[in-house]
Amino acid sequence: MKLLVIEDEYSLLNSITRYFRQEQFVCEGVSTYPDALRRIEDFEYDCIILDINLPGGSGLQLLKLLREDKKRDGVIIISARDSLDDKIGGLNYGADDYLTKPFHLPELSARVKALIRRKYSEGNTAIEIGMLRVDMAARTVSYAGEAVPLRKMEFDLLFFLVTNKNRVVSRQAIAEHLYDGPSDQAPGPEFVYSHIKNLKRTLKEKGCPEIVQTVYGLGYKLVV
Amino acid sequence: MSEPLQHRNTRLLLTWLPLVMLAGSVFFYLILMGHIRHMKHQQLQLKQNNFWQAYSLDPTAIPMQLAGEYLIAPGAGVADVEADSGNLAFLTQTHLLDGQAYRVTTFISGKEYRHLLIKVGIGEAVIFIMLLMAIIVVNRSASRRLWKPFYTTMGAVGGYDVRQNKPLPLDTSTGIEEFDRLNKTLLELLDRVDQAYRGQKQFTENASHELQTPLAIIRSKVELLIEGPGLNEDSAQLLQEIIEANDRLSQMNKNLLLLTRIENGQYPEVQRVNVSGLLERGVEFFKDYYGNEGIGTTTALEAGVEIVANPALAEILINNLLRNAYIHNISGGWVDVQLSAAALVIKNSGGVIEGDPERLFDRFRKGRVDNRTTGLGLALVRQIAEVYRYGIRYTYREGVHRLELAFR
Repeated sequence: MKLLVIEDEYSLLNSITRYFRQEQFVCEGVSTYPDALRRIEDFEYDCIILDINLPGGSGLQLLKLLREDKKRDGVIIISARDSLDDKIGGLNYGADDYLTKPFHLPELSARVKALIRRKYSEGNTAIEIGMLRVDMAARTVSYAGEAVPLRKMEFDLLFFLVTNKNRVVSRQAIAEHLYDGPSDQAPGPEFVYSHIKNLKRTLKEKGCPEIVQTVYGLGYKLVV
Repeated sequence: MSEPLQHRNTRLLLTWLPLVMLAGSVFFYLILMGHIRHMKHQQLQLKQNNFWQAYSLDPTAIPMQLAGEYLIAPGAGVADVEADSGNLAFLTQTHLLDGQAYRVTTFISGKEYRHLLIKVGIGEAVIFIMLLMAIIVVNRSASRRLWKPFYTTMGAVGGYDVRQNKPLPLDTSTGIEEFDRLNKTLLELLDRVDQAYRGQKQFTENASHELQTPLAIIRSKVELLIEGPGLNEDSAQLLQEIIEANDRLSQMNKNLLLLTRIENGQYPEVQRVNVSGLLERGVEFFKDYYGNEGIGTTTALEAGVEIVANPALAEILINNLLRNAYIHNISGGWVDVQLSAAALVIKNSGGVIEGDPERLFDRFRKGRVDNRTTGLGLALVRQIAEVYRYGIRYTYREGVHRLELAFR
């Protein structure tokens, strides 16, 4: 999968590209408008992560040019501006998703993968990890063919972990992901623990091995 | 001691005008009395001359005396005698006729003069009192009219709210130079106040905005770090604390930014928002999220309740209220949500609050020491409630927290 990250803050750009490269993404990063324009014109990407405020131009302008060119690269906007206007404006210009800074890297990763999955899934929306099968569209989970009854929140939690498999996901990132309201109003991470506990118990009841691991007090990791 | 201008004016007039008038009256009385004495003397002298002349021309032409008029008697006196008993005044003088001395006394009545004095006195008193009243009335109405621009200015300035950023309708051509200058000075002052206030708000917004990027960088670096090799329990603990502090910081920063933006009126678009739907969704989430703690939820939501508000703000308002009820709860506690067309009432069990519950709406004011919250949630709620003029009340009684949001 080919990724382009357009972000003017070098340090953040570096974090994002490094995070995705660890997952076998081909990830390029640029930090100025002209550089970004050249890349967009010359190559095609599965997903473009786009900051709105860029030296030399606006990310929205890039998005507009991209769509005028009839290019169908997936675009996720990342911006420090979180007012409703910007969000709607970005989506109207043809962005696929919008994430406000500061975001969690696992969240960005989940969004990128969801976008790519939508693009390439061709009807197959399930992810299989061993005998565990998680169906995104139907929102069902089964282990060895047997349905695993999960509550909405536990499903969301499992799906988030599956999407970020083999990576440590902090409790804060989980809490924010689970919340479906305005992201800056998400509840604290103290209760993530109890949902993880429930999820683990339910999976265990169906004979699933312990794939969800606790990483010290930091967070959780779904190990494949 | 301060008192209204008009009262002081009236009081001064009432104190000094009668004094001036009294002094004037005494002066007037003295002059009048002097003149009356002069008139009496002149009249007595005139009579004296007339009767003596008539008598000396022909002593048989007039009688020797006429009661109340004159008395002519032979004999010589030492000097002229003039006396005034009030009712009667007389003048005695010695005249010579053919070597014989006569004493001639003439009389006039003083009654008329006394009556004149009394009537003039009454007339004067009436005129003075009427004058006094007229002066006070005219003064009051004139000063009311004169000071009208001043009171208009006072009213306008009294209702001024720097947060609303509305220009004051101060007239700089009232027709009175002093008030024109006052209004002009006030407008200039308010302009400077406005600028300072806007600058302050802009600074808060810019500062919060600029903080976002470094916060995002710290977060991303820590997230890379927690996956790195060589992570042990010790470093994990340290990282965990960094994550928590950083998250709280960015949460606080976001809320501050939001508060400032609401204050700056950056969410002007409004539409009909279904509160019932928002609440249902919110309750469902929070019930699930905090349900494992054994917090029970009961609801009585009237369907289809709508408010006119900015959708994002409405959602923040509702979710903050709900979150507040769940976070500041106790293990095994409960939350009760009731919605009607008029109001939203959220009750929940929880710990004791020290002091006035209303103070919880202040920024960074917390009911208890709690690292999980930013201390800005209820400040946000109040800010949004103020924008749409919703009434909001927080009460606490015997372990029950009750928050009421009245939509009108």
